[in-house]
Amino acid sequence: MKAAIAFTLVLTSCANLRVVPLPAEAERHRPKTSDGWEISLVRYRPTGAPTGRPVLLCHGISANERNMDLDDEHSMARWFASRGREAWTMSVRATGDSDRPDPEKGRTLPIRFDHYWQHDLPTAIEHVKRVSGADAIDYAGHSMGGMIAYAYLSQGGNGLHAVATLGSPTRLDWGTGLESLLRTLGPKVVTEEMMFPSRLGASVSAPMQTWFDDGPFQRFFYNPESTKPETWQRLVVYGTADTAGGVAKQLLEVIDTGRFASFDGRIDFRADMARIHVPVIVVAAKLDRVAPTPAVKDGFRALGGPKKWLLITRANGASGEYGHMDLVIGERAPAEVFRPVLDFFNQHEPPRI
Amino acid sequence: MIAWVVLVALAAPELTISHRRVDTADGVALALYRYRVGAQPNDSCPILLVPDLGFTRSAFDFEGKGLARALAETGRTVYVVELRGQGKSGPADSLEKLGTIDFPRVLEVIGAPHLDVVVQGWAGSIVLAANADDPRLRKVVALNTPLLAEVPSALAERFLLEGGHFSELGSSPEGRTVFDELFALWAELDPHTRSAFLANGTRDLSRPIANELLAWMRTGDLPLPERSLVTRLSSWKKPTLLLLGLADGFAPPEQCAVWRERAPGPIQLRTFSRVETGDDFAHLSILLGRRAPTMVYPRIIGFLEDR
Repeated sequence: MKAAIAFTLVLTSCANLRVVPLPAEAERHRPKTSDGWEISLVRYRPTGAPTGRPVLLCHGISANERNMDLDDEHSMARWFASRGREAWTMSVRATGDSDRPDPEKGRTLPIRFDHYWQHDLPTAIEHVKRVSGADAIDYAGHSMGGMIAYAYLSQGGNGLHAVATLGSPTRLDWGTGLESLLRTLGPKVVTEEMMFPSRLGASVSAPMQTWFDDGPFQRFFYNPESTKPETWQRLVVYGTADTAGGVAKQLLEVIDTGRFASFDGRIDFRADMARIHVPVIVVAAKLDRVAPTPAVKDGFRALGGPKKWLLITRANGASGEYGHMDLVIGERAPAEVFRPVLDFFNQHEPPRI
Repeated sequence: MIAWVVLVALAAPELTISHRRVDTADGVALALYRYRVGAQPNDSCPILLVPDLGFTRSAFDFEGKGLARALAETGRTVYVVELRGQGKSGPADSLEKLGTIDFPRVLEVIGAPHLDVVVQGWAGSIVLAANADDPRLRKVVALNTPLLAEVPSALAERFLLEGGHFSELGSSPEGRTVFDELFALWAELDPHTRSAFLANGTRDLSRPIANELLAWMRTGDLPLPERSLVTRLSSWKKPTLLLLGLADGFAPPEQCAVWRERAPGPIQLRTFSRVETGDDFAHLSILLGRRAPTMVYPRIIGFLEDR
């Protein structure tokens, strides 16, 4: 009997375990960075006449382009395209369909956060500009994807017209028990020369993702009030990427020192963010336990402006409370997150008629 | 076994709670409560607890449970004050007076050379800012105490625009939802505690206080004599434990955490989230939630005991 129940549970859980392929209209592009990595980009042309600039969308850590383009109903990219914005998703190096490390071809570890803002993002921006003909583009980054934009812009990066960051922290030292754990375990487990096997962990845990109502994943990553467990399960299956040890180490430094800085410590991104005068909308989720609101607000305060703060919570009119991943895959994210982001972009450049 | 339990119970030092009225120089009566366990409590450095605006002594002692008793059981004498506008004290017409008249008067009445203070929320910011240089204050525990004020949400703004009437929140499902969003979001809170606290543990803000609080949130600072609240708290030097509940919708953590980097003094920050403590801790549940006695109180006791 127990075996039958377990079998049924596994079968039910596995129903969501297939990868939903990209639709036919998705165009694949692979620009190459100056240090030799091909970066995967997916382009969606706008539905109807263009209403504004192209938008480039970037995922967070241990993730890939599918975070911004999970399926028909959970896709910031396709949502923007359906509103007349050419939309592009990107995978940073060694994630998604971007190049993997290959020493024989000169693509060596370590990969650091600095590679993302120094090489991957500029390459993606230039490619989108060249293909679309736009002089500058809009950008939305989830979690670390927003941090990449902060770092890039703080060091004088150009080509971005308006930016949205979603759940992007600039400090990670908030005195939580998890930090203590990461401080203790992190240096013992993570080395710069490794790729942390996040995908393996995701694959193993994927069938179990819908078994619990209030399990550790719900508590940490998403809120079932805003994202169906089946949606989250699909993200786990094909939206997860291995984590570069060098990136993990650099972010562990942010926890340890309270500084959002380059790997060598010479560049203080947060201090330099005062120089960012590209319009930025900073979106935070009230119950984000990965990037808590003080962590996201810290980045907002550091920005030079113009800037806008948007806290997603029922107290501000949202239909449910959001956690970290709900900002991009939440069932109502199109109305409650994507719409205000698009409005912000439009506000800073009237739509082309 | 039963006999042993009875013996232990009989031998346990008795808690005594006394109440006295404190009159301020401008004629407002304040309620001050004292908690002592045993015959010879440590009076040399008592602990003074200050509830937030709209809350009362019940935030620290509700139906026989709460932080006041937990602290008293450590052998310290504990006081809970209801400043003007709170609980059984006289009416309030100005936020500034909570810090510049009421709090110093209470310190005078207690008469201790040194004392530790536990404060919450907006009232906490006021009393700490107005008394930042008082040498009698030794250590401070601040629960979601804002430095850089902002309107927390559209809902909070509406609540204050309508006068901050807690008494109206309990009478309708919509009102109870407002209370939950602002004070008990996703809280691990006994349903009875939630409803009974709303009915008996709160007090309506006066119209001038609701207006002044909203103006403070909108402008980001509160004028105080000589130096503003932000200026005063930005030069804070006393040993402080800043406890943040992520789910606080009335004094949100993002308005409080920044105090750590603005102040030159040693501020320890501890943020609670559901991932590790089982509750994100909102304004009420950080004090009276199911998990507060095991997750929050020990932090406070440990910090205040650490000499």
